[in-house]
Amino acid sequence: MWRFFSKKQATDSELEEELQAHLEIETKQLMDRGLPRAQAEMEARRLFGEQYGSRALVMEATRETGGHRAFARLWQDIRYAARVLRRAPAFTTAAVLSLALGIGATTAVFSIADTIFLRPLPYADAGRLVWVGIRYGDLEFLPSPDYVTWRRNNRVFQDLAATQASLSTSMLLGGSDPGEVHAGRVSANFLDTFAVAPALGRTFTPQEELPHGPKAVLLTDQFWRDRFHGRRDALGSVIPLDGLPYAVIGVLPRSFIYPADVKIDLLTTLPVSPTASHRDRSMSTWAVFGRLKRGVTMAQARADVDMLFAASKRDDPKMFRADNSVVLQHLREHRAGNVRTLLLILMGAAGCLLAIACANVANLLLARWSARARELAVRAAVGAGRGRLARQLFTEIALLIATGAAAGMLLVAAALRGFVRYAAGEFPRSSEVSTDFRVFGIALLVSLATALIFGGLPALRAGRVDLQSVLRQAGRGGAAGGHRVMRRALVAMEVALSVILLSGAALLFETLWHMQNDHLGFRPEQSLTVRVRAAGLQGSVSDALTDGILADMRRIPGTLAAAITQCTPLSRGAFWITFSRADRPLPEPFHRGDGIGVCGAGPEYLKAAGTRLVAGRFFTDGDPPGTLAVINEAAARAYLPGESAIGKQILGGRAGPWKTVVGVVADTKNQGLNQPASPEALVNDTRTANAATVLIIVRTIAGQGAFARALHDELRAGHPGSFARIETLDEEMGELTASPRFNTVLIATFAAVAFLMAVVGVYGVLAFSVAQRSQEIGIRMALGATPGTVLALVMREGAVLMAAGALAGVGAALVLTRYLAALLYGVAADDPVTYAAVVAGLALAALAASFLPARRAALMDPVVALRHE
Amino acid sequence: MPGRIELIQGTLDLVILQVLQWGPQHGHGIGQAIRIRSREALRIEHGSLYPALHRLEQRGWLASEWKISEANRRARYYRLTPKGRRQLVEEQSRWKQLVRAVARTMKPVKE
Repeated sequence: MWRFFSKKQATDSELEEELQAHLEIETKQLMDRGLPRAQAEMEARRLFGEQYGSRALVMEATRETGGHRAFARLWQDIRYAARVLRRAPAFTTAAVLSLALGIGATTAVFSIADTIFLRPLPYADAGRLVWVGIRYGDLEFLPSPDYVTWRRNNRVFQDLAATQASLSTSMLLGGSDPGEVHAGRVSANFLDTFAVAPALGRTFTPQEELPHGPKAVLLTDQFWRDRFHGRRDALGSVIPLDGLPYAVIGVLPRSFIYPADVKIDLLTTLPVSPTASHRDRSMSTWAVFGRLKRGVTMAQARADVDMLFAASKRDDPKMFRADNSVVLQHLREHRAGNVRTLLLILMGAAGCLLAIACANVANLLLARWSARARELAVRAAVGAGRGRLARQLFTEIALLIATGAAAGMLLVAAALRGFVRYAAGEFPRSSEVSTDFRVFGIALLVSLATALIFGGLPALRAGRVDLQSVLRQAGRGGAAGGHRVMRRALVAMEVALSVILLSGAALLFETLWHMQNDHLGFRPEQSLTVRVRAAGLQGSVSDALTDGILADMRRIPGTLAAAITQCTPLSRGAFWITFSRADRPLPEPFHRGDGIGVCGAGPEYLKAAGTRLVAGRFFTDGDPPGTLAVINEAAARAYLPGESAIGKQILGGRAGPWKTVVGVVADTKNQGLNQPASPEALVNDTRTANAATVLIIVRTIAGQGAFARALHDELRAGHPGSFARIETLDEEMGELTASPRFNTVLIATFAAVAFLMAVVGVYGVLAFSVAQRSQEIGIRMALGATPGTVLALVMREGAVLMAAGALAGVGAALVLTRYLAALLYGVAADDPVTYAAVVAGLALAALAASFLPARRAALMDPVVALRHE
Repeated sequence: MPGRIELIQGTLDLVILQVLQWGPQHGHGIGQAIRIRSREALRIEHGSLYPALHRLEQRGWLASEWKISEANRRARYYRLTPKGRRQLVEEQSRWKQLVRAVARTMKPVKE
């Protein structure tokens, strides 16, 4: 700006000098002809004036030719537009806000969804990466024997890598400062499959995946920096994990991303036994990723995998049922498929919001041009060209859109920053989230198109309209008449769209409420879960050690109960086996129906978890371990219907000695908050053989923090090298509701914004209509209409808009919310109460919005109203 | 002043380019040359010479530099650029066409 002015100054002074030179030359010529200097100077000035006009005029005219002229005119237009917009603050604020919210919300949501779910994973030649598995009901995985044979016998994969299906394992990192680390367990060829080379060191060797092979880890870049301060000599060092030494063989590149959406600190190997067979006593379930050989098509790959699957079935038909099928998908497709519903819903919601925002802007512009028809006509009458007028109006629209887009960008930036902070731990790629300019561009184009259609066409027409008729009609609603129907339709559409969004949000809210408030079957308050990991927690020493830890906990003031257990009220035990009872024949091996969760639990479990005993008794310290069972009501209903459960001998045969049922406990949400309880048996056997973690449930009146500090001190004194993770049951429930909460917050935000915009839309239309009809209302009142009838007249107009919109909205919502059904719990997608509440709420808000203009109309003084023209 | 004609819109450019083909000249010289060469018949519209000079310079047809004038003072001298020379040729031919066309309309109709 300063340079612009200084340049202008420079050209001004140059021009001054140029004109001065002109005068001097003239003077000299005159003096050469014999005139004295003073006279010559005067004559020169006179001649200049006569021949070229005044110096000021010349200066001005010359300046005008400057290259700045076009720019200056544009600048003038922009300044004028800004002034006009500033003078209508209500209109400008509403329009800019609508645009900002419409563009901003759409862009922010898509930027997040795109990064987390859709952006291709950063692997070389990712098009050849596929997901391979067998579908078991809702689950997809590959049993370890099939992985081993398929990896050996396939003809289409360059590499076939396995990772644990449970995504990550937490392990205890020993040393002076014990801590918990998240390990991803993978087959040795994992990095080759994903074409990732370690930044330092080497990848796993085939020996390292053998069940008793050398133990090795690859560190993630982040973990290497945090724990080893990025030192190169970390390579070759040995770290204790779960009490065993692991050699650090390499560091992963900073860009590495684990293909499952979980946070990991390091990679280690899965035990892949080359002789794994379906006849082994146990097997693992793995998630399998393949890299196709160059030139192999999906069809060829599918044919090959089908053959492998057929061979697996021939090998052991009992392993598979008719509805098991093979899955082969591009990795990208597999990832997107997991969130398809959520994405569709978000897309729909964002689309609704953008449509509402555009309708609002369109409405505001229509109202504005109608109100300004007179001004435009006058300006045309005093000589403003049609082109000039149109240019100014378009400048106004452009300025509006630009401001809205800029505000939208700010909104996006703020939303994304907030998201990254909020979701840092929950989504593995959240730090990569960045503004998606494609969506921003699309949203911007849609708004621009709307503004041009609804703002531009009337503007063009305004230049063409017959001046006389406009001047005669403006202010009487005549000029607005053409837009009236369109404006009403737009507002009705806004109402309909907000009914859809509000219904969706209300249904999700109800789901969340049900999840958090449905009968849980236990009291989460004051209940803590403590997961202790200690190097010595293996084999025979474990019982003494856990007894010691349990004693430590009981010593901490405030502890009411503490029990070792293999499950919490929110999980269903360490094993999932087939139900059996002593008085019936044993089930077939690998029989898949009639499952029951088995969970070892100590005598104080019931008290610690706050679960209710329905019948019989619970375990006591004196019971011989492994002989008794307590089942939940779901198990009693499913497997012992119409019988008394007490005294029955269950879960024996191949599963070990028979256990006597001594009690029945209330169901807990052991499959997650949005599922009914599944059958579960608690057994009085807490020997934690081969478990690296001891889970203890504690009920304490001391706070979580105080208990954690006390336990930390006890552990450091009595069991150095151990580490305890302490959570409240409430927190564990919070993790289960995190994703529904996220969905609900998003949709609810959309719905709230949509609701506001719809209400503003209704208000805007009615307020404008009252202003336009003031004369008519004045006449009505002069003819004897009471304020009451006028009030009713305006309110009726609002009610009609509202009713039409709500009707269309409920119809559309009934169709659309069916797609939401998968996310709902405890409420049906067509729950009539929800819809009634939404419509009633919106109707109330619309009524309130129409009351203000209606009151203004009712309080109008007919004399003033009639004189208005 | 009788006998003087206002320059037709657009022809001032042609006249300026025409004058400058004899060599660089300052604003005063150009104005004087137009008056003298047209035998005082052409009158430049009030305040239009200098705007025209600046406009032509912006179009790249003229270039200017400051030199000491006969009045012993700095003055801005304009000269034709190659682009301006081509423009001159073009304007000349267009002018001739215009003159011929106008002249034809003034001839008495033969038939």
